[in-house]
Amino acid sequence: MPVSVPKGTTILEAAKQAGVLIPHYCYHPGLPIAGVCRMCLVEVEKQPKLQISCATTVAEGQVVNVFSDQAKKARQGVLEFLLINHPLDCPICDQAGECELQDYVFQEGQARTRYADYAKRFNPVEDFGPDILYVPNRCILCTRCVRFMEHAAHDDVLNVSERGDRAVIGIHPDKKLDHTWAGNVVDLCPVGSLLSKDFLHRARAWELDKTASVCPGCSQGCNVNLDTRNNVVVRLRPRANLEVNRYFMCDYGRGQYRWMNHGDRIEAPLLGGKDLTAVDWDHALDRAVQLVKGISGPAVTLVSPGASNEALYLARQVLGNARLQAAFRVHREAGEWSLAGVPDLALRAERAPNVAGALALGYREEFEAAIQTAADAGLLLVLDDALDGVAPEALQTPNIIYLGTRLPEIARRARVVLPIANVAEEDGTFVNRDRRVQRYFQAKAAPGMARPAWWVLGEILRGLGRGDTLSSAEEAFDLLAQSEPAFGGLSYAGLGVRGAVLGSRQPAGQPA
Amino acid sequence: MTMHDTKPYEPVFTPERRAGLEELLKRYPTKRAALLPALWMVQEARGWISDTAMTEVAEVLGLTPAYVKGVVTFYTMYHLHPVGKNFVQVCTTTPCNICGAENVVKALLQHTGCGELGATSPDGKWTVIEVECLGACGFATPIMVNDDFIESVTPEKVLEIVRKYS
Repeated sequence: MPVSVPKGTTILEAAKQAGVLIPHYCYHPGLPIAGVCRMCLVEVEKQPKLQISCATTVAEGQVVNVFSDQAKKARQGVLEFLLINHPLDCPICDQAGECELQDYVFQEGQARTRYADYAKRFNPVEDFGPDILYVPNRCILCTRCVRFMEHAAHDDVLNVSERGDRAVIGIHPDKKLDHTWAGNVVDLCPVGSLLSKDFLHRARAWELDKTASVCPGCSQGCNVNLDTRNNVVVRLRPRANLEVNRYFMCDYGRGQYRWMNHGDRIEAPLLGGKDLTAVDWDHALDRAVQLVKGISGPAVTLVSPGASNEALYLARQVLGNARLQAAFRVHREAGEWSLAGVPDLALRAERAPNVAGALALGYREEFEAAIQTAADAGLLLVLDDALDGVAPEALQTPNIIYLGTRLPEIARRARVVLPIANVAEEDGTFVNRDRRVQRYFQAKAAPGMARPAWWVLGEILRGLGRGDTLSSAEEAFDLLAQSEPAFGGLSYAGLGVRGAVLGSRQPAGQPA
Repeated sequence: MTMHDTKPYEPVFTPERRAGLEELLKRYPTKRAALLPALWMVQEARGWISDTAMTEVAEVLGLTPAYVKGVVTFYTMYHLHPVGKNFVQVCTTTPCNICGAENVVKALLQHTGCGELGATSPDGKWTVIEVECLGACGFATPIMVNDDFIESVTPEKVLEIVRKYS
């Protein structure tokens, strides 16, 4: 099969483009090439010996045979060596089901061992860091973890200790694998040797549903997969996007799944009065529409920079005819924790995913001022800000419409409370700090009667006679793109799974 | 656990040794390249290479402790644990073994008081290990005591050798 690639491309990468995955362990596109595992051996015409395809660059007219008898036999030999000391503990190994050793042995390994009479090498499990266990018996010495810590994290605490069949990954006794980005070594490990303590024995890989999403942890907007099992998010893992996070994400981001599963959610629309009363959507929306219609004086919208662009846009539209102050606030940490070896990648100080989206859609970071305005305002629309730190007296006057996932005490004075979905429960888009608009997808069902905020706000607009029911985030986004100049030229479908930069007019040219 | 737990660590690279190392560094294109001889200096001074000493070497050469440890553990001739004052290596590869190297080992273990291979004698003076070919197959059995090479050792000659070094 002829392939045309840029000069300097390796055989392995060229083969990927031709739809052939050459088995490999030590090679990883995000790390320097090591050439130590010998798994990617292929036959290259006119070369007497097999070549490692990860480190051999293509040449004009070169003929590569990945599946020749010689190449297959060589790779089978490599697999046999790896299995001499590899335990048969797949049934209790977290990696089973997403293990490259399993995959390649299944593809081209031998059915039976010739080493059954020999005892396997044994080393005890080691505690490498706050979230990382090392199981040396399963290790195939690909050194991805060593290279990640050295070249990407610039914190080389790992090494290859000993040699020959005694070799293991070592860590200096005075050091821990506690870098902010250390969790990536667990993803990079092709076998079950480096394990996340947090995910240890939590689920089998084949039970997980994977949903493309965007990390809600900070304004970097790392592309992630939400792994769900029985409607519970159990793990966040990086999803490759060369423009944003390459192949990595930080450990803070990995912890974000916890709040997505919290059970203390608003599960039904509530009407205020003496007490809050649960009602159906029709009644609640009707009340909300009446409140908006009856506005006297200025109106205030307080939003969360964790809300989708669709919701932020529609929230402005709802109060569009009033004298409106639209504000948000964002939690900032004191510093950034960068992944030194990768340009422009860090756990950012701004701990919200859609600050740039809120700014682009006309919200200002003036929360305190907005609260003061709200004290005398006719209507206060809150979109998923917990209002923590706001004195109850400050919000005596206004009628409050509260859209949220949880119900803080202060929100109990709202006239209408509308339950909305969180980031794992709806489709939508965020804009990251580099102004890249990125889609996230629904991974699990919203609790009770909670609905996506774009649907709720769309229904209020319909009640006001200013729109039709929105049936998808796509409709909401395309509405937004038509009327907001900053989003001009973008379409929801065109964003794909890698996003597009605001003002670029063209969706990024990468295939979805 | 190590001898340094009870008293504070004294750096290997005193000003004098530091000067020796600087002299050595002139022969290498990079500091990293001088790691092996630097480790030899540590082993000569201390008899073995502790984790703390690895950290010191790393600092002196601008490397990371993890890298240094990887190198130390790769080579079998660097000692990761304290050894006796006299470190004995006996060749037990095939030709020497045929000529009775095993009995030389037994005699050494007995007369030095080590008891077993790799262990250090109670008086701290001796450690005996087996090694592969010392390159003197015509003069079986060769042994090395520290840097001295002794050929044609028989079990009968062992006692004399042990007395000489004790």
